[in-house]
Amino acid sequence: MRRRAGLQFILASAVFSIAALCFGSAPNSSSLPKPQIASEQNLAVVVNLSNPVQNLSMPELRRIFLGERSHWPNGRRITLVMMETGQPERDVVLRDICQMNETDFNNHFLHGVFTGEVFVSPKTLATPVGVRKFVFNVPGAIGYLRVSDLDSTVKALRIDERGPEDKGYRLHVPPRSSK
Amino acid sequence: MKFPGPLTIRVTCALKLTGRMMVSRIFPLLLGILVNTTILRGQQLVDATAADKQTLQLLLQRIDQLEARVKQLEAAKQAAPVSLPSAPAQTSAPPASEAELQADNAVPERMDSSKTLLRMRGFGDITLHGDSQRHDTTAFSLGQLNLFITSDISEKFKFLSEIVFEGGPDNIFGETRGENNAFGVDVERMVLQYSHSDYFRLAVGRYHTAIGYYNTAYHHSTWFQTTTGRPFLFQFEDRGGILPVHTVGASASGLIPSGHLGLHYVAEVGNGRASRSPITDEPVQNVVDDQNHKAFNLALFARPDAVRGLQVGFSAYRDLLAPANLPRIGESIFAAHAVLVRSKFEWLNEVLVVRHAPSGTPRVFNTPGFYTQVSKQFGSYRPYFRYQYVNAPSTEPIFPDVGLRQGPSFGLRYDASETVAVKLQYDYTALRGQPAVNALALQVGFTF
Repeated sequence: MRRRAGLQFILASAVFSIAALCFGSAPNSSSLPKPQIASEQNLAVVVNLSNPVQNLSMPELRRIFLGERSHWPNGRRITLVMMETGQPERDVVLRDICQMNETDFNNHFLHGVFTGEVFVSPKTLATPVGVRKFVFNVPGAIGYLRVSDLDSTVKALRIDERGPEDKGYRLHVPPRSSK
Repeated sequence: MKFPGPLTIRVTCALKLTGRMMVSRIFPLLLGILVNTTILRGQQLVDATAADKQTLQLLLQRIDQLEARVKQLEAAKQAAPVSLPSAPAQTSAPPASEAELQADNAVPERMDSSKTLLRMRGFGDITLHGDSQRHDTTAFSLGQLNLFITSDISEKFKFLSEIVFEGGPDNIFGETRGENNAFGVDVERMVLQYSHSDYFRLAVGRYHTAIGYYNTAYHHSTWFQTTTGRPFLFQFEDRGGILPVHTVGASASGLIPSGHLGLHYVAEVGNGRASRSPITDEPVQNVVDDQNHKAFNLALFARPDAVRGLQVGFSAYRDLLAPANLPRIGESIFAAHAVLVRSKFEWLNEVLVVRHAPSGTPRVFNTPGFYTQVSKQFGSYRPYFRYQYVNAPSTEPIFPDVGLRQGPSFGLRYDASETVAVKLQYDYTALRGQPAVNALALQVGFTF
């Protein structure tokens, strides 16, 4: 009798553990409060000056950065600009906007292009200057830059009604390594 | 020698006094003025340097813009026929505003004949497979070699195709054709897509019919799939499958404005599946339809924001089949699915029924089927489980060979690298009126 109860307990524990493993989602990195280091900068999401969009919500931004939206409200095709793998700016976008790691992000786009759901893959550029020039030149482009890399040639979007200079802005990037 | 007189002495004293005053009072004043002047001069220089830097930056930017513009114009000049005169309006245009300059600098998407627009990716798999069925042998099998080609033709148009090389004979409703070890080439997908907006996309060509979920989520690549193969319900037409997996026709799809619900639609019209004898003919009507009637399919699905990775939907397909020596048969396929797909976890559930209704008779043949598949990633390992079921009546007029098939599959996928997956899978399939089949497969699937 005692043995049966023990077995039932083990079985129930196993079922519970499996269910917890399967359905319990990992803590969302973006929802965790992240202490902002004094030297951290905000990361601005930038678009072409001709783009009429001023503000995007985080879910909208996520859909855009995952290729689930392909057009701006003015009909222009969205061209996503990403920085190269390993750049801190890219890591912030993957972590806080896409909520994916590098492998998942690449697989997501590969699968999306394969099924035909993603119309265009992201363009990858090496430097902030390259991103700025690309966004300046392509009306449908969207990319990201440190606030210190911003200038008047691109437009920084507000995210959830907060600009990159505002308190409570959600995208922060660690300082550049001084090599 | 002359000695100084009293006047001279007075003057000398005055001069000495003045000199002392200069040293004690005026010199510090002059020094102060000099220092202040130097500081002011220095400040002016710093300001000027900053202004120069700013100007330089602006000029460099402007040079970059102009260089880009020159390149653009040179490219346009090379692309344009020599006989065409240059547009006078451009040369005599007034100075443009900043917005106009920016619009000018926008890179237009145009065809560059000097470079290819194709992007290619490959997929392949090799399997070691054995089962308990009589006359079957354990063998290494080359799977499908898939060349997936895309091309961004313009801002609105895109081309997509899958050219697949595959070996072995075709199996169409139990009838085989072709040689065992010969390879053939199939254009499995060939689609020209037009994207007007997120709410309307149009595709024409040969595509995967939007029946259920699996058929459009996984195409001709085992590397994408968790398991070694597709569920029996979604098996390809030339591998014994019962569904019109491919359609040649037109497909419209897009978002339905629905806020956080994320509703999507797909509406398709096409040739449908071949139904005339001989049944071993190519089942996908690529060039000629055996009748004027067209197949229609409508699918609706939701991807709610609230549950990331969840997709719930249904589809309805309708066609009219015209097999030889039989009355026309109305074919309806109703499918529903609920899937949860995340990077570390997937749970796929689909159910469908294929309904065949011969005209002139009250009899209807229903073939229900479903599968459920669950997997969870642990590092590079992903154990998975699938149970599938399909039950066709023994008198089913279109696919009499199918009967009842059901059973579980267990497997383990190991991602040896980002592009190579090794899978080991065991299948148990119970059949109506026949011994059950045990099968084991070891597969390596990859993309390149």
